[in-house]
Amino acid sequence: MVNCSICGKPAVYVNRISGKAYCKKHFLEYFDKKVRRTIRKYKMFGPKEHIVIAVSGGKDSLSLLHYMVKLSKRVPGWKISALLIDEGIKGYREYTKEDFIRVCNELEVEYRIASFKEYFGYTLDEIIKIGKEKKLPYQPCSYCGVFRRYLLNKVAREMGATVLATAHNLDDIIQTFVMNIINNSWDKIMRLAPVTGPLDHPKFVRRVKPFYEILEKETTLYSILNNLYPKFVECPYARFNIRWMIRRQINELEEKYPGTKYSLLRSLLKIISILEKHKEEVIQGEIKTCKICGEPSAHEICRACLYRYELGIMKEEKKKVEELIGER
Amino acid sequence: MFYSYGVTKVVIIRIVGGSKEWKISLGQERIRVKELLEKIGLLSNEYVVVKNGQVVSEEETVSDDDEIVLYPVVSGG
Repeated sequence: MVNCSICGKPAVYVNRISGKAYCKKHFLEYFDKKVRRTIRKYKMFGPKEHIVIAVSGGKDSLSLLHYMVKLSKRVPGWKISALLIDEGIKGYREYTKEDFIRVCNELEVEYRIASFKEYFGYTLDEIIKIGKEKKLPYQPCSYCGVFRRYLLNKVAREMGATVLATAHNLDDIIQTFVMNIINNSWDKIMRLAPVTGPLDHPKFVRRVKPFYEILEKETTLYSILNNLYPKFVECPYARFNIRWMIRRQINELEEKYPGTKYSLLRSLLKIISILEKHKEEVIQGEIKTCKICGEPSAHEICRACLYRYELGIMKEEKKKVEELIGER
Repeated sequence: MFYSYGVTKVVIIRIVGGSKEWKISLGQERIRVKELLEKIGLLSNEYVVVKNGQVVSEEETVSDDDEIVLYPVVSGG
């Protein structure tokens, strides 16, 4: 039996770097301290905020919602709301949506569900089918990522958010870091900072990642101990993603060499600070406003509008895109 | 009368909500959760482990008759 290093009760977690063991009570204290330290260190929130939590209905985002609602009880100037993007993935999203609504009701949090169908006219399943028929070179996760990020920003702004909090944990961040090194995408690496700002564009909602320094194993444990672990449902498209393989490789390294993940995070923070000094070289041109939808964009037409155009799911704006593409 | 044949003591390991299940006989051996998972090709940092209904760390020891339920950390969503 492994016992808590603090009180001697049975341990639920061992921090493999410090060697310290924690019982349920002391793990939750350790978790709380770690998240609060992350929030303070990166100055994520001010005293008066409307914090919209991006929730997928998975264990990490439900944990973030649960944690932030508890934390907000100590900060009178904070309002917490939840936002779920329903991509329309059959056999997946309907279940996570149920968990989302249950937890929101239990925590008495206002929520909004925004769907691909409502905003783009098609579900992700339909979009993938059209993409295949048209032989477009994109993976399911590419459509999903672009449209989801687009809606998170747009709908959070419509909800009056001063800040949008996502549940990306340390594992997510370093996996994306490695993926972007492989793709030579240094502009995307810059966006992996714990806080990404509104200064680039007035329509950008400031984004923060309170679980930036928290391991996925720790957020999972938090969800189990707080009865938030959802019925295990895996996104049917997840295994098509290169992330799946990178995750396994990093986890194997961590198993053999504990601390690998924190080292990768430190490397990321270091390279972000170096890249910040060479912003012009990394980011080509300023953030623009999409000439089709008016949302922030790296190009004249944003990626979401380009996808909609290529998929042929755009109606009246189609002509405008053709004119703009012709102008180039 | 002692009917011992056909009754082998085992550790039962299953993944929550999934259909996967393993039965492993350890005999007199007492090993750590981490090593048990290694035997079936799983990584301990990819699961939270519940032994006989209690959440335990990967350093916890396991022996025959224990029931292990694994909660995947990597959900892919």
